[in-house]
Amino acid sequence: MPVATQTLTERFDPTLLAALEGLDFKARYIMEGFLAGLHNSPFHGFSVEFSDYRNYQPGDDLRRLDWRLYARTDRLCIKRYMQETNVRFYILCDTSASMEYRGSAAWGSKLECAKVLSAALTWFLLKQNDAAGMITIPDPSEVPEYLRPSQRSSQFGLMLRQLDSLRPSGGACLAQLLQHAARLVHRRSVILFFSDLLEPSEDVSLGFKHLRFLGHELIVFHVLDRDELEFPFSEPRVFEDLESGVRRVVSPAAVREKYLERFNAYMEGHRRLFRELEIPHCLVRSDENPWHALALFLNERKRLL
Amino acid sequence: MPFSFLNPWFWLGALAVAGPLWLHLRRKQETNLFRFSAVRFLEDEAEPRRRPHQFRDVLLLALRLAALLLIISAFAWPYLRGASTLPIKESRVYILDNTLSHQALQGFTRDRDRIVDEIRGSGTDVQTAVIELTGVPRVAVPFGEQREAALQRLRELHPSFQRGSYLAAFRMANSLLANSLGERKKIVFCSDNQENQWKESVNTPPFLRGVQVDVPTPGAKLLPNLSLSDPRTQRVFLGDKSLVHFTAKLTHTGPARSAQIMLRANGQAVFNRTLALENQPETIMIQAQWEAEPGSWLFGEATVEGAPDALAADNRLFFSLAPVVEGKVALLAQSPYLRLALSEEIMRGQWATRVLDPTHLDEETATNADADVLCLESNYLQSSAARKLLARYLATKRGVLLFVNRLTPAIEGCLREFGFETEGAVNTGPEGPERFQFVFSNHPIFHPFLSPEYGNLMDIKVSQYVRLKSAAAMPLIFSERGAGLFFQGSGSFGKLFVAAFGADREHTSWPVDQTFIPFLDLTLQAARAQDLTPTIFEPGEAASIPLPAGVAGTEVVLREGEREVRRASVQQGRAEVRFPDKPGHYVLTTEDSAQVLNAFSVNPSPKESQLTFSESPQALKGWHQDALREKPGHSSGEVPTPPRLSAILQQRVWWWMVLGALLVLTLEMVSAGTRRERK
Repeated sequence: MPVATQTLTERFDPTLLAALEGLDFKARYIMEGFLAGLHNSPFHGFSVEFSDYRNYQPGDDLRRLDWRLYARTDRLCIKRYMQETNVRFYILCDTSASMEYRGSAAWGSKLECAKVLSAALTWFLLKQNDAAGMITIPDPSEVPEYLRPSQRSSQFGLMLRQLDSLRPSGGACLAQLLQHAARLVHRRSVILFFSDLLEPSEDVSLGFKHLRFLGHELIVFHVLDRDELEFPFSEPRVFEDLESGVRRVVSPAAVREKYLERFNAYMEGHRRLFRELEIPHCLVRSDENPWHALALFLNERKRLL
Repeated sequence: MPFSFLNPWFWLGALAVAGPLWLHLRRKQETNLFRFSAVRFLEDEAEPRRRPHQFRDVLLLALRLAALLLIISAFAWPYLRGASTLPIKESRVYILDNTLSHQALQGFTRDRDRIVDEIRGSGTDVQTAVIELTGVPRVAVPFGEQREAALQRLRELHPSFQRGSYLAAFRMANSLLANSLGERKKIVFCSDNQENQWKESVNTPPFLRGVQVDVPTPGAKLLPNLSLSDPRTQRVFLGDKSLVHFTAKLTHTGPARSAQIMLRANGQAVFNRTLALENQPETIMIQAQWEAEPGSWLFGEATVEGAPDALAADNRLFFSLAPVVEGKVALLAQSPYLRLALSEEIMRGQWATRVLDPTHLDEETATNADADVLCLESNYLQSSAARKLLARYLATKRGVLLFVNRLTPAIEGCLREFGFETEGAVNTGPEGPERFQFVFSNHPIFHPFLSPEYGNLMDIKVSQYVRLKSAAAMPLIFSERGAGLFFQGSGSFGKLFVAAFGADREHTSWPVDQTFIPFLDLTLQAARAQDLTPTIFEPGEAASIPLPAGVAGTEVVLREGEREVRRASVQQGRAEVRFPDKPGHYVLTTEDSAQVLNAFSVNPSPKESQLTFSESPQALKGWHQDALREKPGHSSGEVPTPPRLSAILQQRVWWWMVLGALLVLTLEMVSAGTRRERK
């Protein structure tokens, strides 16, 4: 099991991802792209394949003139290509304080788990010639950090550096993160969302809906700890919330049942939302192998395709 | 033993013990704190019943609290309360009057016992001292004396016969209080408030400042008393008899109707008489004469008894008289009366007379065979040798008895040299001789003549005399017409007695009067260069007594009879003697011999017999520099008094507190380390 204290670069295990190389990651919908790849793009732009002409309009790019057609027909026409672009992937990572939690059985905190997964997917996507970018909110009071999607080989390093710099702090930020994503992502993209979603669904549903309305594909990686899922505590203790600082003196044996009931209801609420919005949702446990979860998702994704 | 603290405010630092307590409680709370990400799902859960907070590491907590408290208490400067540290609210000086007058009606004993009771019953916040007022006031009990030792010292005080000064005692008390520790300063005067004592120091400038004085109110302003004082004894030679002439004053106050007076000399009763006191003046002079052996010491005692008599200690009077030492008279006179009166037949044993040859006066002057007194007639002063002789006698502190039977310019000049101016001779003529009108009876020469036993000087007549005037000489006899007839000169080393008339029938009837021989004897005695050392002293009085020439040794012994009383050191021929407190006869002898060098009588001061008392002495009011004022905001008894800092600093209890705190901290360190390892 990887050690949580290693940096992403050290933690990243490409051999593990190699086991996923055979899996085709295909988007369910036609994505824009300008490089020859595995995805269909519904937009016209600069792509490898030539698909159609149109009359030249003053102001068009002269490099797009079909000179052969002009030689044959004396008509000035612009080539229209069917651009098979790379799918733009954006990684959105929740950096609220609750992501700092690490249970006794986990191999790392939830944020660390998200970082590893993000890095793995980034590498995978770049290998797929997909462009990967990132939007993060390093500090709730600061402007979001936007890493433009790119498929260059150097993008991977940039992404890793950006992931490394993430620190858990502050309170709820999902709604804000989704808002920034809606604002910053102009073209249809696939947004990979890593979060523990320990915020009321009604606060974040608007953000998700907005993104879906804009035509983006969203995949939610729900990162949770075993302690949150199972509440395995036994001794009475004072529980202090990582984000709000609220303290509760609790006897776990007496409250477990009610906690699980609430928590599961809460989880069900999110699942309902994702089903409604047709957002693939994957549970990632920090005490389990994350690639297993990814492989599980890819299989699930493929099945859905 | 109770503790107290110099800086009790430092105990506010004890609030700091809340720190470790809070830490020990909070630590349990903090170690039980669990930071969780999903508390929102627990928000409406009721708090379970839990056991109340318990201290963990009770031993560590106790050690830390103990160390903190020890350090705080060290800063609060603890000290053990004891006699040496207790604050002193009042410093009190008792002045116990131990003079003779206070013995009246057991006053001294009563006041002494009262002081003992008050000291025994006083608290530890009152420091007391006692001054014994005697001839020289002394501190009988100083401040800081242990109570039992102080009481013992007081019980050992006994009534004395001395007279002391109230002023000296108050000054001593004031000096003690100036260096005392108490906030309030007080003098308690335990005395009879004798009036003459206060009057002696009524004009003393103020010196008491901030001192409260308690003066008793005498029970009575006047107490009845019989006392004897002022004894005077002389040997009087009547030619065939040697008498002792004794006078004393009997003072009586009160309703006593009679007094019995007894006189004893050398163990023999001289007289025992009852004297009626009614209609008698307050002071009566009593006198007695008796025949006594002239060659031995005379020790006498007079007593008076009567009732009521509040003070019996002044009823006895002691006197002594040295044996007669035959004197030498050089006679330069033609008067047959003088020659006869001073002849060996008359003056045997009293005076050895040598008649000088007027033609060989130079030889007389040159030789050392000088007499004690030169008796001469003025007509010899024509001769310069006689004048030289006279001058030499006076210069060598010997006496001269001069009868002015003739006046010439030379004689006038000689008289002028000795301070006498002549205004011519007087011859009473047909008017008749002049009698002695006034005789200075208090003078030792004429004092015995108060008794009629020696004759009546007022019967003496003078028909021829020289009118003499002198600014310095003291006239002892005046004539009817106011002329000075007998003078005692002054201004010379020796004693000069000048009679303004000759000692013969032409001038006066005196030579044939019975008073003449005792007059001559007494005048020669007075003129002789005698030892002027007084022989009567007051109890406790100190004196420098000249010793006779030839006395060897560094010490002399003062004895009462055979009993040695004390010794006195001898320096340059003088013995420094302090006489005992008890009245009586005392003799001074050498260390190895019983030979009496001198004899003394110790009698109480007559002032102590004046039992008149003052209720509110004016002198005391004048002694206060300012009125004793109360401090505003304090009533007596509530004046804050600080503890005695020096005694507290010596205790160094704070040092042991700090040491204890370090020890406890060391234990805490070891204990905490052990627990850490165990964890």
